[in-house]
Order: sequence, then C-alpha cells, then structure tokens
Amino acid sequence: MSRQVLDERRLGWLLCAPAVLAMLLVTAYPIAYAVWLSLHRYDLRFPDQQAFVGLANYASVLTSEVWWRSLFNTLLITAGSVAVELLLGFGLALVMHRALVGRIALRTASLVPYAIITVVAALGWRFAFDPTTGFVNALLGLDQAWLSERWSAFVVIIATEIWKTTPFVALLLLAGLTLVPPDLIRAARVDGASAWQRLVHITLPLMKPAILVALLFRTLDAFRIFDTVYVQTRGAQDTETVSIVAYQALIARLNLGLGSAVSVMIFIGTILIALLYVRLLGAGALGRGGRQG
Amino acid sequence: MSAGRPKDEGTLVERVFWRFTLVILIGYALLPVVWLTSLSLKPSGDLTDQRFFPRAIGLEHYAAVFRDPQFPAALGNSLGIGLIATLISVALATLAAYAIVRLRFPGRQAVLVGALAVAMFPPIAIIGPLFDLWRLLGLFDTWLGLIIPYITLTLPLAIWTISAFFREIPWELEQAARVDGATRLGAFRHVILPLVAPGVFASAILVFIFAWNDFLFAAALTSTTSSRTVPAAIAFFTGASRFEQPTGSIAAASVIVTIPVVVLILLFQRRIVAGLTAGAVKG
Amino acid sequence: MPARPHLLLALITLALLGCERPQPEGPPTLRWYVFKEQSGAFEEAARRCTAASQGRYQLDLAYLPTDADLQRELLVRRLAAGDTDIDLIGMDVIWTAELAEAGWVLPWPEAQARSVLTGRIAGPVASGSYQDRLWAAPFTTNTQLLWYRTDRVATLPLTWDAMIDQAESIGQGGLIQAQGERYEGLTVFFVSLLASAGGSVLDESGERVSLEPVPTRKALEVMRRLARSPASDSSLASSREDQCRLAFESGRSAFMLNYTYVWPSAQANAPEVADHMGWARWPALAPALKSRVTIGGINIGVGANSRHPELAFEAATCLVSEDSQRLAARMGGLPPTLSALYDDPEVRAIFPFADVLRTTLADAVQRPPTPVYSDISIAISRTLHPLRDIAPERDVDRLRRAVERALHSEGLL
Repeated sequence: MSRQVLDERRLGWLLCAPAVLAMLLVTAYPIAYAVWLSLHRYDLRFPDQQAFVGLANYASVLTSEVWWRSLFNTLLITAGSVAVELLLGFGLALVMHRALVGRIALRTASLVPYAIITVVAALGWRFAFDPTTGFVNALLGLDQAWLSERWSAFVVIIATEIWKTTPFVALLLLAGLTLVPPDLIRAARVDGASAWQRLVHITLPLMKPAILVALLFRTLDAFRIFDTVYVQTRGAQDTETVSIVAYQALIARLNLGLGSAVSVMIFIGTILIALLYVRLLGAGALGRGGRQG
Repeated sequence: MSAGRPKDEGTLVERVFWRFTLVILIGYALLPVVWLTSLSLKPSGDLTDQRFFPRAIGLEHYAAVFRDPQFPAALGNSLGIGLIATLISVALATLAAYAIVRLRFPGRQAVLVGALAVAMFPPIAIIGPLFDLWRLLGLFDTWLGLIIPYITLTLPLAIWTISAFFREIPWELEQAARVDGATRLGAFRHVILPLVAPGVFASAILVFIFAWNDFLFAAALTSTTSSRTVPAAIAFFTGASRFEQPTGSIAAASVIVTIPVVVLILLFQRRIVAGLTAGAVKG
Repeated sequence: MPARPHLLLALITLALLGCERPQPEGPPTLRWYVFKEQSGAFEEAARRCTAASQGRYQLDLAYLPTDADLQRELLVRRLAAGDTDIDLIGMDVIWTAELAEAGWVLPWPEAQARSVLTGRIAGPVASGSYQDRLWAAPFTTNTQLLWYRTDRVATLPLTWDAMIDQAESIGQGGLIQAQGERYEGLTVFFVSLLASAGGSVLDESGERVSLEPVPTRKALEVMRRLARSPASDSSLASSREDQCRLAFESGRSAFMLNYTYVWPSAQANAPEVADHMGWARWPALAPALKSRVTIGGINIGVGANSRHPELAFEAATCLVSEDSQRLAARMGGLPPTLSALYDDPEVRAIFPFADVLRTTLADAVQRPPTPVYSDISIAISRTLHPLRDIAPERDVDRLRRAVERALHSEGLL
C-alpha cells in the first residue's frame, strides 16, 4: 500500500518534471537573471563598463517621465479596451446563446479575430485609418491623420484591441452563460421577474466567476500590449506602453541593465494585478458556494 | 445545452432581427480581413483611392511577395517552428496533465497554479535575459531560439486545457484494461489516448495559433531569413525603396498568412471553442 | 500525436540540420550589409568589385530594413550577438562612434586608411572617424537643400522667417515640406537649425552637453513657428522625407527641405513639377548667419567578427573607389565623397546643383559623435515632437535634461 503510494508519487513527479522544468527554465531563471541585470550597469554598447550599481537603474526608471507616462498609457489602453470588450463581449455572448439562426456561422466568424495574427490585424486597421490608403476617412468624410495625433491614435489602438479580443471574451462568457440553469430562469419568469431582473439577480451572479476569469485574462493581456502599438505607432505621439519602453531599452538600445529594471517593474505590476483578481475571484467562488449550499 | 433557448423559430420580426444581427456581427468579425484582401488585390496605382472595394483586380502584389525571398522563407520558418513547438509542448503537457488528473502526489496543485502563473507572465520581462543568453549560447537567430520560449509559454495553456479534457474521461476503462493485464503505459496508449485525442488536438491548435501569432520574441530574437517568422517579416518588410511603404505587399502577405488560420477555424471551430473555454471556466 | 516520438525526433533533427548552412565551394563569400538601394547601383558596384578581385572573393549584398532606426536596431543586435556573417557594413554616418566604441567594427589599417582618404571631402572623412582613427571609409555623402517652385517663388528667401512669410502669402500651393515625425529625421532637422544658429548639441569632447540657450531657443522658435504656420502641411507631425517628396510632387507645395534624391524622382514621377523646381542652400536663421546643414551618407566599415577581415578591407577599398562612387552617382543619384568628382561633367549632369551641394557640404555639421547618438536622437525627437507644441522657454531646459540623461545612458527613452 505504502509502496504503491510512493510509486504513484514518483510517477507523478516524473511525468510533470519535463513540463515544470521547461517552464522554470525559461521563466524563473530569466526573471532572476533580469533582477541581477537590473542591479548592474550592463550596456552592450559599452562592454568595458559593467559594474554593480545597486538600485540606480530603478531610480532612473522611477524618476523618468517616460516611465510614468507609458504606465498611464498602458492603464488607459487596458481600461478602455477591457471595459468595452466586456460589454460588447457580453452582448455577443447573449446573441450566440440565443441566436435562432446561424449560430455556428457566428461562432466560426468570431474566431477569426481571435486567431488572426495580431500584427496583421494591427496593420489592417492601420491601413484602414491611413489618410492616403484608408477607407475610414472617406467613409466618415473626415481628413484626419489618425495615427499622428495622440488621442486619435489611442482610438485606433484601442479599437484594434477591442476588435481582436471581444470574441475571446464572448466565448468565455458564453461558457459561463451555459452554466446558468435554465430551470432557474424559467422559474423566475413564472414568478414574474422581468428580463432585467432575471439578468441582474440570477444570470450575472451565477456568471461572476466566468466574468472575473475573462477580466483577469484580458487585463493581464492588455497590460502587456506590445504588437499593436509597435506596428501602429511604434510608440510615437506619446502612445508608448510599458512593454514598448522596455523593448526600446533592451533591444533597440541594448541597455540590458536599465531595460531589465523596466522589465522587473512590469513583472511586479503583473503580479499586483493578478493578486487583485485572485482575491476577487476567491470571494466570488465563496459567494457561489454559499448560494448553492 | 440548448434547453434554455426558445425552441420555436419565433415571429417573422424576430427572425429578421436575428438575421440582421448575425450579418452585422459576422461583418464586424471579418471586416479587416476583407479590407486587407481588397487592398492586396488593388493594382499599385489604386492603393491610394481610399475605396473599400477594389475598382480593378490584380495579383501583382502576390507575385511580388513570392518573388522576394524574405516571405517564403518566413512562411517556412513559421510553419516549422510552430509545428515543432506545438508537438513538444503538447507532448509534455499531456504527460503532466495525466499525472495531475490521474495520480495522487503532493504538489500537483502547485503545478497547476505554477502553470497559471506562467500564463500570466509578461514575456517582455524575459526578452533581455533571453537575448543575452541566446547570444552567448549561439541560439540567437535560430529555430531553437524561438522554439524554446514558445514551448514554455504555451505549456500552461496546453496543461490546463488537456487536464480539463482528461477530467471528462471515464477512467473505469483504464481500470478495466489494467485488470485485464495491461500496464499503465499500455492502458494509457490504447485506451486513454484515443479518448483524449480530440482534446489534445484542440489544445495543439491553440498552441500552434499562439506560436504562429507571436511577434515579440520573433522581433527580438531573430534577424534573418534563417529564422525570422511571418509576423516579424511582415512588420519589417523591406519596401522597394528606402522611403516607400510596401503597402500592397504587406496586404498580400497578410492575406496569405491568414488563410491557414481561417482554414483551421473552418475545420475545427467546435474544438477550438471547447479548448478555449475548457481550461478557463471548468478549471 | 505525442505517442509518436520518432516523428518528433525526426522533426527536431531536421530543424537542427536546417540551421547548419553548408559552406559552398569556391572563393569566400563576403556579405555587405547595406540599405536597399533602389537603382541597383550597389549590386552593380559589388559585381564589379567581385570581378576585379579575380576570384579572390565573392561580394554579396544583404539588405537592411528600409527604416533608418530599424536598420540600426537590427544590425546592432546581430553585431552584439557576435554574428560572423557580417563582413562589410554600409554604415550610416551616425553609427561610427557606437560601433567603434562597442568593438563591433575593425579600425582601418594605417596604409589602407590613407588610400581611401585621399581626395575625400573633409566632412565625410570626419563622419567615418572616431577618436582619431578611421572606422568607416567615406563612400557616398548626402545633405539637404532647399527645393522650391520657381513659378511661385519670385525672390528666393534667405532666412527661415522670410521663407515662412513668403509661403503664407502664397496661400494655396504654398506649403513648406519638412520632416516633423518623431524619428531620427526630426533630430537632423533640429541639429541643422541649431548649428545654423551657432549652437551644438555636445561640446567638442563629445562628453558634455552644450545646447547653448540662445541658439537652442532660436532653433526651437523656428520649429514652432513653422509647425503653427498655415504654410506647414497638416501632416507635418507624421511626415518623413518621402511624405515630403510626394507632397511636393503633388504640386501643393512651394518649398521643401530634403535630400538630393528628390530631383531625379521629380523628373521621373512629376515632370511638370520638375520643370519648375529650383534649388538653393538651406535658409539661414538670420541674414548675418550662414546655414549649416547636417551631413548624411554611407561609409563602409568591416565587421569585427568577419571571417575574412583582410579580404573585407580589400573589398571595402574597391567599393569606395572613384569607379564605384561614379556608379552610385550615375545610377543611384548618390553624391560622391571624392571632391574632384564634383567637377566631372558627367557628375555635374546628374547633379545640376553640384556647386550648391559642395558649398553646403563644406559648411556641413556632424551629428553628435558619441556612442549614444541614437539615445540622444531619441531624446531630442521625443522632447520636440510634435513641433507645434514646442514652448521654447520651457523646452530649452527639458531638452538639456533629456540629452544629459541620454548621454549618461541612464535616462529611459
């Protein structure tokens, strides 16, 4: 008996080992290395000047207006896109849930934005909004150089993000929607609850975990936004996000020390967001358990 | 599943309303694809006509894209790197998922939580260290240099989705096979694997889409046709002149690389949806 | 699928094999990394040098991306990765200090350096040198001129203020085309204005910020005035050299500050515009001052990890020879660095503005020769973009702070 348990343990560990190693090797080790780099002057353009500098790189980052502005931009894009995605996604999920015709066609079509290469989507929208090649200005009767002004550039970036990820949000919410017991809805309807009451008092509470999961994934995803901004403005017009700033420092300038300090800050930001949601999610799960019990 | 939906076809108004909504939504989903297609078919002179649909149709941009050695090479790299990363990632994830669902051992919850943590990991955080390591190890601008991070970053997705599929398997069958004298491995291969194959396949598609999509690693860790993948190649397309934007070629290349994705979706939409939602909600 | 490890192994092996590039038989191949030149002049020059080597090397071209920032980004990353594939580099003049300091290019040996410097114009020679050594041999040079419509401009304005006044009075068709996008071209614009006002970004050592307040303010005032004038193009904030060229060829502009490539382009694409196209030296900041314009161009350096450095220097020497320069001028319209060629009738036919070009080059200004030039450039273009929002009073200080941080490679850019 005990031997069998031991065997099972060993087999379990053995089977998990390759995956765990692969994950650790390319996340834990590099992040530790990033922390080490961030404490050094390590600029590949000055190979002879490597030295331990303590927290100087962090001081540079935190006193830089570029960092704070990019953080603001990132949070703006995150908030703007996630909020709209959630609303549109919920609508799309309801339509997919209740559509009388063409449900499969709709589901298939909505997978296209999810699966298309982000760079391609970003280019498509960039060309669409371009004053010389695009159709948007002609359609709206405007003469707007969308990507050469800050706020209109944000509009294009956020619109691209929304287009790209709303279907993903919708699919997650749809999965949550199908978990709502139809009997409950029917009973509420018999009791005279209006559609709005049914939505607010039955559907939404039951979907809370699904909503939070969708929110969590999308928030983290939006927080690390890189591809769309890189392709559409490459950070020009003050549309830089934290990932763009890190990329510029690391890859364009090869200042690995300073860039790693930015990377570590982004990593910490991600952890903070995740912790926030995990707390909310924990509460949500408890709430659901209570109602069922 | 569909018990909650009204079974009747509804009134005429309702039907028209649904059809209308459907057309709008499908149009919304396909808009940039249609736009890029139309752009790619416009002759060079019409690129700036600001019209959504082309006035005349020409294939010159497609010809140009294939004449240029960058793009065919990038297609090959993307396919090769994506397929290899997918195979390895899914293989490792299947082993881990089996252990997590089927075996009792301390730390299995930790593996799942750890995988979740990796899924939330910002890739930009490791770009610098990876670049420094890769240049020392000679992995910069190689297939392997991209395959390794792709495996790592797709493992969480694969482990979660495959675990979710594993949970739905009637494990009595394995029990029965082992009573009949099959080894654990034998039972796994002959009884369980065929049952989870659809699920494994679904997560393989998701993993492949991830690798096919990635731009950040491709931009930072590659530099030539020997390993540059499609997203990076398109973003860095060299135009005919120093100052000219090769809009037509970019559009044509974009359409070409979107075709496989659309085909995958058309063939496997049910499985992709199942895979996407399995890990997230049931887990 | 996972149950078929053989397939997996086979694929991995294939992948690894794919990385091994077989060395072809024959003479060693040298790769010349350079931007993609449209006319094929570089290919032709490489072909001729290959032929002239009589089978000792084969010179092939490898193209860098179109965008100047991307060119550097890609190249520098590969050099940092120790790529042995890079033998020759068509180096933008601004890379010299950075590539030299990092040890990514080899210094030219004394004797060969002497031979590739004889008869070259001083500006290009300086652009390839760093700390008293030659790192890149002058090949082609470039600088901006003022292009204008002879049918709309009666008397040529000599100063910026006069030009803007005149453009405003023309109204329709009186736009001024300049580079206002947030990229390196904006830095070039600023450096030229600053030098024209008598200032410089760094002091002579290249280690301290200069940015004298009076000239800096003067330069910023001109930029602001231009950007806010009805005579500036509405897409100034996103316009680069080629947008300017197109806007000029479309006929809606009276003035343009741009490189010489716009001349052959206008002749080919917009002959009706070319018929009325005049050229002059850049406008000055004040009647008493001389305009000084930033020097550009391509020099040839040899990669530090090249497998065949001696052959590479030999090939580079061939590439910067009189023959190649003439070829680059004839086919590609790229101004030569050999002074004597500006008196050559064939070259003068290509550059009818050869004399203006030569005098402009004689007074030309170098961009700050420091390894962190690209950081400084980002700092400048970021601080000044968009031009219409410049507040000269405030931005003199902002600019100084930004450049200071960039110079100590500590600022986040």
